[in-house]
Amino acid sequence: MKRAFCALLSLAAALLLTACGTDGKTGTDGITLTLIGKESDLGKSYMTSVFERYEAATGNHLNVVAYEDSEFERAAAHKFEIGDAPDLFMHFNNADLNNFDVAGNFYYLNGEHWVDDLTDGARAYCQDGAGNLLGLPFWENSVSGCYYNRTLLNELGLKPAATQKEFDMLCQALAETGYTPICWPGDGCAWMPQFAMDPIFADDPALLERLNNNEIRYADIPQMMDMLQWIADAADRGWFGKNYLSTGWNEISPMLSSGEAAMVFIWDTWFYTDFKPGKYAVEDFALMPVFMNTADGGTYEGGNLNMMMVNKNSEKLDAALEFLDFCASEENYNAAFDGISTVNCFKGQTTNIQSKMVTEATESIAKYERVSTAASKIIGYSGDDVVTALNSVFRDQTSLSGGVKLMDDYRIAEARRQGVPQFQEEQS
Amino acid sequence: MKKWNRRWLPSILMCIVGVAAILIGVIYFSFISHRIYADSTNHLSEIYGQVNRAFAAFVERNWGLLNDWGDSLAAEEGARSGEVSDRIAREQDYWGFTEFYFISADGNYMTLDGDAGRMEMGESWNALLRNREPVMAGETLSSGQEVTVFAVPVERGAYRDFGFDAIAISYTNADLADSLNVDAFAGKAKCFVIHDDGVVLLSTQTGGNIFQNYLVYLRAASDLDEEDLTQLREAWQGGSSGLLQCKIGGVRYCILYQPVGYQGYMLLSAVPQSAISAGFLTVQKTTMIMLIVIFLLVGAMVIAPIVLRSRSQSRKSRMELQYRERMFDVLSNSVDDIFLMLNAEDQSVDYISPNIERLLGIPVAEAQKDIRVMEKCAVDFNVVFPKEELAAISVNQNKQWECEYMHQNTGERRWYRMTAYHMNIQDVRKYIFVLSDRTQERRMNHQLQEALTAARSANEAKSNFLSNMSHDIRTPMNAIVGFSVLLEKDADHPEKVREYTHKITASSHHLLSLINDVLDMSKIESGKTSLNVDRFSLPQLMEELNIILLPQARAKYQDFKMFVQGAPPEQMLGDKLRLNQILINLLSNAIKYTPEGGRIEFVVSEIPRTSPQFTKLRFTVRDNGIGMSEEYQKQIFVPFSREINSTTNKVQGTGLGMAITKNLVDLMGGIIQVESAPGRGSTFTVELSFALPEQEEADAWFRQKVTRVLVADDEEDICLDIREMMRGTGVDVSFATEGAAAVELAVRAHQRGEDFHVILLDWKMPGMDGVETARRIRECVGGNVPILVLTSYDWSEIEDEARRAGIDAFMPKPFFTSTFWRTLKPLLDDSAEEAAPAGAPEEDAMKGRRFLVVEDNELNAEILTEMLAIEGASCELAVNGLEGVEMFERSEPGYYDMILMDVQMPVMNGFEATRRIRASAHPEAETIPIAAMTANTFAEDVRNVLDAGMNAHLAKPIDMDAVRKLVGQLLRPAGEQPASV
Repeated sequence: MKRAFCALLSLAAALLLTACGTDGKTGTDGITLTLIGKESDLGKSYMTSVFERYEAATGNHLNVVAYEDSEFERAAAHKFEIGDAPDLFMHFNNADLNNFDVAGNFYYLNGEHWVDDLTDGARAYCQDGAGNLLGLPFWENSVSGCYYNRTLLNELGLKPAATQKEFDMLCQALAETGYTPICWPGDGCAWMPQFAMDPIFADDPALLERLNNNEIRYADIPQMMDMLQWIADAADRGWFGKNYLSTGWNEISPMLSSGEAAMVFIWDTWFYTDFKPGKYAVEDFALMPVFMNTADGGTYEGGNLNMMMVNKNSEKLDAALEFLDFCASEENYNAAFDGISTVNCFKGQTTNIQSKMVTEATESIAKYERVSTAASKIIGYSGDDVVTALNSVFRDQTSLSGGVKLMDDYRIAEARRQGVPQFQEEQS
Repeated sequence: MKKWNRRWLPSILMCIVGVAAILIGVIYFSFISHRIYADSTNHLSEIYGQVNRAFAAFVERNWGLLNDWGDSLAAEEGARSGEVSDRIAREQDYWGFTEFYFISADGNYMTLDGDAGRMEMGESWNALLRNREPVMAGETLSSGQEVTVFAVPVERGAYRDFGFDAIAISYTNADLADSLNVDAFAGKAKCFVIHDDGVVLLSTQTGGNIFQNYLVYLRAASDLDEEDLTQLREAWQGGSSGLLQCKIGGVRYCILYQPVGYQGYMLLSAVPQSAISAGFLTVQKTTMIMLIVIFLLVGAMVIAPIVLRSRSQSRKSRMELQYRERMFDVLSNSVDDIFLMLNAEDQSVDYISPNIERLLGIPVAEAQKDIRVMEKCAVDFNVVFPKEELAAISVNQNKQWECEYMHQNTGERRWYRMTAYHMNIQDVRKYIFVLSDRTQERRMNHQLQEALTAARSANEAKSNFLSNMSHDIRTPMNAIVGFSVLLEKDADHPEKVREYTHKITASSHHLLSLINDVLDMSKIESGKTSLNVDRFSLPQLMEELNIILLPQARAKYQDFKMFVQGAPPEQMLGDKLRLNQILINLLSNAIKYTPEGGRIEFVVSEIPRTSPQFTKLRFTVRDNGIGMSEEYQKQIFVPFSREINSTTNKVQGTGLGMAITKNLVDLMGGIIQVESAPGRGSTFTVELSFALPEQEEADAWFRQKVTRVLVADDEEDICLDIREMMRGTGVDVSFATEGAAAVELAVRAHQRGEDFHVILLDWKMPGMDGVETARRIRECVGGNVPILVLTSYDWSEIEDEARRAGIDAFMPKPFFTSTFWRTLKPLLDDSAEEAAPAGAPEEDAMKGRRFLVVEDNELNAEILTEMLAIEGASCELAVNGLEGVEMFERSEPGYYDMILMDVQMPVMNGFEATRRIRASAHPEAETIPIAAMTANTFAEDVRNVLDAGMNAHLAKPIDMDAVRKLVGQLLRPAGEQPASV
């Protein structure tokens, strides 16, 4: 199956070259660059668009090798292990990237001319712990934060919060008016706790390193207990409503559009993919930071971005870097992302559709945005496991400290399952 | 009319006092509550009045400072910006404001540091620049910071070339909140500076502000209606102060508003009523607790003596009650009557006497839980306490009925007379049950009934017995009398005489057997029967059975066969006479109830031993006769029972035989079983245990050099049985199932020079029979090898031919080692060459014999004399025992062959006479055979006879066949000591 798909892509690329050759824009002796990535990632329209443009413009050929999503990590790692590494490699900057000997395989892009054109959030996401830029973020971006019904708040004589204290006051005031302050889909809110955890680990990378080295645990980090305490208190005070434990993904939209709930911790593109207008429409919503007692000024989570990375050992290193130059040019990325709903990765992005909510909050986002850290950088992290632990607390099946311990247990078990060496034996 | 019950007076008084106390308390606390609440709201107004005044003073001060600085700026027009900056900076450090602004008429500003920006002051702008009034306004800076700006108009000036018309300072709202915050009310108060339209300028509470417009918020969150809100807005716009209460989010708030005095600003505070009343609530709670404590103490002082007295009386009553209950329990435990009291409404148990556990096995606790547990013990009825029947009993009436119960654990049955009383006890309907034990009475009645029934049965049995006996005795007697009359009449007709005498003889025999059975049964049932255990030979027993029964079977042309399975011991200890009686009964019945040509089998087998000292034998009598119905099988062992059908009616019998048999088997500790079906024959099985005598040494075969035996029988099982039975003798048994094969084996052995030492041939074999086989063998091997014929038939008819064919002796079937040896030994001994052939006819044994007959009854003596004469024997008579002794003592040795001795005689009875004879000096005193003649036929009688020294017992009336047989047994082995029979 995999081979068949690769062959199909190769054939498609060949046909593309042939087609390109007929209009005289390219020659037949161009360089062929190999790029590997996930099947679902490489199929995005902006990706194929920029590939086509590159081949058309340069006469070079892209040998795009796509792996089935479920096999990608293993197959790609195998490629590097046997010395058959590609020239270009697409991967998210998450914990799985540690399996690819980043320092040994990939070219640091800090000196490339397009670096300054990256938005701060996108650039931060693509850096390693030492500030080395690992890849070119060429992906749909989003901003996760607290999206609130501004119209409703105005109707209630309330205004958005700027601090944790104000956010708590706002929740209480909303609860007093009979509204559910926060839509908390307890049956599957796997993404919500990670927003609160980002500040803990993004603001203190050493903490993340020690956690991933299995030197400390969540239980050793006071902010984790602060977060859990706030979530538990919020539930007790009714800020999540009455039925939050049975609220699922599909209930978020009706709760917000009907005005039953005033706020939700989510990302902007959700409003264009899943939200269905009711009493309130997208225009009624605005964005403020997420407050979950881990950052007084609140926090936004930047998007998880797929990066195009360059094999520094490639014989075609220059061509590969030139390919990134091509992609990072304002003309090309605007052409590729034309009409795509995304937050900017490049400052010069103008053709994409960026939500008004994000635009209005640009200054706040710039101030409080953090790279997605918890979900992508903590080894063994699973949003579902965190929710399971939280729900145990909600159901009084365990204490707060017991909830933190559960999160630790799940995380370590997953790390062991993945075979991460430092988790194979307990640290004393 | 009911009399007033004074007992209730204290309780009523206490209730009145209690209610009064509560009312007074409520009124008191209501009053106090209102009073303290009024004081608290006044306190609230006062606190926020102070805050308001402080805030107004703060505003005034800021404006004052700005005016001062504005004046000085005007006075120092043209001063260098650096100097201004330094001065204002010092002021800033002193007064703590956040920023200083130079404001132009177009709304732009410049800070001391030269940072420029624009202010959106809204309505305040006109007031400041057009009306030249000092203003206070909220402003959100471009940094997002929320500040409160205080501004005053000044003479136009310039700072760093920035022309300004007003100056201003700002404080961050957070700073203002800190300075104006009130610690009272546990931090639960919200305090705002708002416009008269509800827009919030700032909040003085710590933590920030999330309210845009408090009036809008109240509309959404509070329980104030639109009219209330309108009045509130009008009050604010009119610059009024006020206090209102409303509920927000379920919490009751006091909202206090006061005009600040500038530009329509109001100071508004919202405090939860609980926070305002917290102090009051504490006082109220403490007061209430104290009052309650006092009330309880007073109450306790009043109530305690009453309670103590009441408890004392109650304890006394309870003890008396317990004592009575204990007494009653003890009493009821000592009797077998059960007492029970139920509530009539729900049948719950008020009392149950503890003896129910002893009498019925029902634990008291279980019965108290649910009285229906008694239904488990009920016999023949399901509902112990039927509601309908109980309900039908009028109050103060009772009802009785009998009931039977079975002890739950032991199964013992008890009978009770249950009496149910319907009572009204303290207006509660109760059922009181007394279960009077009638068990002894019932048992006595039952025993009496059984005794009566038994007596009736015995009487009936007696009547039946007499009826049966009358019939059964009269029938043969009738024949005897009738034929005797005919005999006399037809005395001249020899053929009729023979016929009549034959019938008289048959009837007499039947009558005799009837009398014997009746007497035997009577003896057994009276428990006077005992066993005479002695050593006996199983082969001999079977031989005797064969002798007795084979003729009967042959008379009916029946196939009568006896088998021995396995190798049962041949010698054992037991009562041979009783065993004989049992087996003869069974076999006689089998012959009797099997039609002519039928088949009767008698099988003896040994049940695997469990002890070396005992053997258990199974005797099986199987026939293919008429069989029995299942009903009759159940009463076959009942005396006088006979199955009534067309076949059995033709057969004579007393109906006592099987009853005697069963009793004898029981007496011997065995079991008897029967399997039968009408028309399909019957199988009787008797299992009896016998002690084994000490084993005799059995090396005689070896000493006689008999080590090889040839057996020929067409039934291979018999051959194998013989081999098995000979196993212990060291003799090697070869066998053939055909005569020809036997001849071949014998010839081969002879040719090898290893002749068989003995050859044993079956008489009747298909093809070549035993006689022919013997002849052939003799032809080949000569006359040295003893050849015996094994047969279950009477060999007398072929004896001559057999002896001519070379057969040396005959042996009865079934085969026994001991019989074999006894038959063979004379042949092996040199002296045995002339031995009398086995099985010589008994008739010959009687010929020429001389008997001494000792009989006091002349008639009997005459009959016996005649009968002996008929047999070719002679006799001499003695009329009593003494004469008999004397005649014997006078006789020459060998003069008498045998003495026939009556037992009951005058002068000297038979026992004494025998003892005298045995003790006499006559040479044959110890050897002369003496046979008793007596009507006493029980085993004890036989034993007494033998104990007295006699050799045999002959039952009266004397049967010559028995005499003939006896003589054959006692006198046949000439020269040997007679054996007891």
